[in-house]
Amino acid sequence: MNWTEIMNFSRGLLLHVSMIIFVAGMSYRLVRVLLLGWQRDRATNKGSKLKGVIVNYLKGLLVLPFIPWVRRTFRHNELTFIAGGLFHLSLFVVLAFGTAHIMVWKSLWGFGWKSLPTPVLAFFSSVGIISMIVLLINRLTHPVLKLLTRLPVWINWLVVFLPMITGFIMARHLWFRYEVIFSLHLISVSLLLIWIPLGRISHFLFYFFSKTIHGAQAGKRAVTP
Amino acid sequence: MKSQKTRSAINTYLKETGGWVASQLEACTRCGICAEACHFYQALSNPEYAPIWKLEPLRRVYEQRFTVAGKLKLALGLEKKLTDSDLEHWSKIVYEACTVCNKCAHVCPMGIQLGPLIHEVRAGMAAAGVVPADLAEATEKQKTIGSPLGLSDEMWRERIDWITDEWEVEIPVDKAGAESLLVFTSIEIMKFPDNLAAVARILNRAGENWTVSSTGREVVNFGYFEADEELTRLFLYRVFKAAEELGVRKIIISECGHAYEAFRWEAPNMMKVPKGVEIVHISEYIHHLWKTGRIKLKEGAFDGETITFHDSCKIQRRGGIIKQPRELLGVLAPKSFREMTPNREQSMCCGGGGGVISIKEADSNRYAVFEMKLEQLREVQAGAVCMVCSNCRLQFVDSLAHFNFPVKVHGLAELVSRALV
Repeated sequence: MNWTEIMNFSRGLLLHVSMIIFVAGMSYRLVRVLLLGWQRDRATNKGSKLKGVIVNYLKGLLVLPFIPWVRRTFRHNELTFIAGGLFHLSLFVVLAFGTAHIMVWKSLWGFGWKSLPTPVLAFFSSVGIISMIVLLINRLTHPVLKLLTRLPVWINWLVVFLPMITGFIMARHLWFRYEVIFSLHLISVSLLLIWIPLGRISHFLFYFFSKTIHGAQAGKRAVTP
Repeated sequence: MKSQKTRSAINTYLKETGGWVASQLEACTRCGICAEACHFYQALSNPEYAPIWKLEPLRRVYEQRFTVAGKLKLALGLEKKLTDSDLEHWSKIVYEACTVCNKCAHVCPMGIQLGPLIHEVRAGMAAAGVVPADLAEATEKQKTIGSPLGLSDEMWRERIDWITDEWEVEIPVDKAGAESLLVFTSIEIMKFPDNLAAVARILNRAGENWTVSSTGREVVNFGYFEADEELTRLFLYRVFKAAEELGVRKIIISECGHAYEAFRWEAPNMMKVPKGVEIVHISEYIHHLWKTGRIKLKEGAFDGETITFHDSCKIQRRGGIIKQPRELLGVLAPKSFREMTPNREQSMCCGGGGGVISIKEADSNRYAVFEMKLEQLREVQAGAVCMVCSNCRLQFVDSLAHFNFPVKVHGLAELVSRALV
């Protein structure tokens, strides 16, 4: 097998199978949780649940990841919060507005949109990679994270980092032949897609549950989430 | 082989795990930020006090039963099944280093309700009978004698009569046709009788048609501290039954946080509650009486030394009664009232709630936490601190004495009653 064949395999069969595993696995996870049953909350509301939910999402998406100090709690660990926020922002920007990624979306959905200028993308992908490294150092050194981090969490980090670093190298045309780095990027993406249903990267889905629950709880009790 | 203990805990976790619990356990990214919010972790730097770590028994049981990843981890030997020694280990963590204050939920980037989930962990411990001895003893007293402090019916009567005489205030007992039932704690009747007298004086001044009940006489719920569902229900039922027999339209919960949480938010989801009976906390009710002109207060009655307000987790952060006490303090001490930082929803728990203060072995934990509270008091140069929860008040009185720190402690009702005009 030469690199051209590996490239064709990784962007063909491998990627498609991984996508199917990803969608099927996540659907299973979702259905499993939904089927565990939900109890109606019979306590009367003091405030508006909807308001609580809206405020909670706005705060959680726009304010806290970037200005955690509004919480008046973060005395020691602001960096984790900011690195986490910047990582997610970079990931979103590069995935949604990267030139090559837009082509993937277009092939999946039939329509695309304008990409961001290359320097902007380069900036965000660098920020994403640096944030990941900061988060790794933090995870290696913080006593609570050392306790919480077991093998699957290290795998989470690795399978997210690999597509980022290979994508960065590919987009900058560094060191490798195109077929090689493109294959490595797609293999790592496939690895990520297969791993997501098994690990905690799936939080992107369950985020909407816990975030809604917290907003509704706060709203119901007439407190600011 | 699983012991009966572990089996009871596991069964409780499986029973409690619906979508609400599962979706939140699934949402955790192991970021550890919740540790930032936990006063026990902050004060003692024990990583095991990180709120998410307190959920380990529940998470393990959930994952091993319901998820592919959990089963895989078990098969590969990456994780073990829950054992008796795990229960003993986490029992100390969830009962002695957690007040279920739920501040962690407010810093969790995912918004996971760590407090209520830790309550579920406690439920498994309670089912397995792995509860700190002091807490179990107090719960047993409440079950058999009717009060966690062991206050019998006769003693309760005598105490009410004594308060009536000493403070020259009328306290109607078992009054048929009353509109509202006031239910208070053994802590108040034994340790803060001034607060009870104050509440009585305020209600009388407002012309409230109220009563206390000799059968539904304890508002504290040690079953709820333990998270024993059956006992929680029993202790709630005693009060609801009294309310139904007396035909009242309203139950006024005195200065007790966990009780307010149990009656206001939990009871409707646990049992049949009397229809058309409103649950109010005394601090919101006093505010209502003042707002509607039924009581009048002397403005600036407590201006002088700096007075601050301590937010109780169950009444403020979890109860939403945030503006009311502040508006009242704005009248009582407009010039001298100063806020501690952080405050309101972000406030730091006193360290004695959730049953912690009743566990002797947890004393060093709660004193360590209180040192952070002392720092906050120092920052505003407080001469006095006011609060609306007797459990907090007990922790303040005890810990201030322990540290020999000269700050006066007041219940809000007590201040209001002294400023009545």
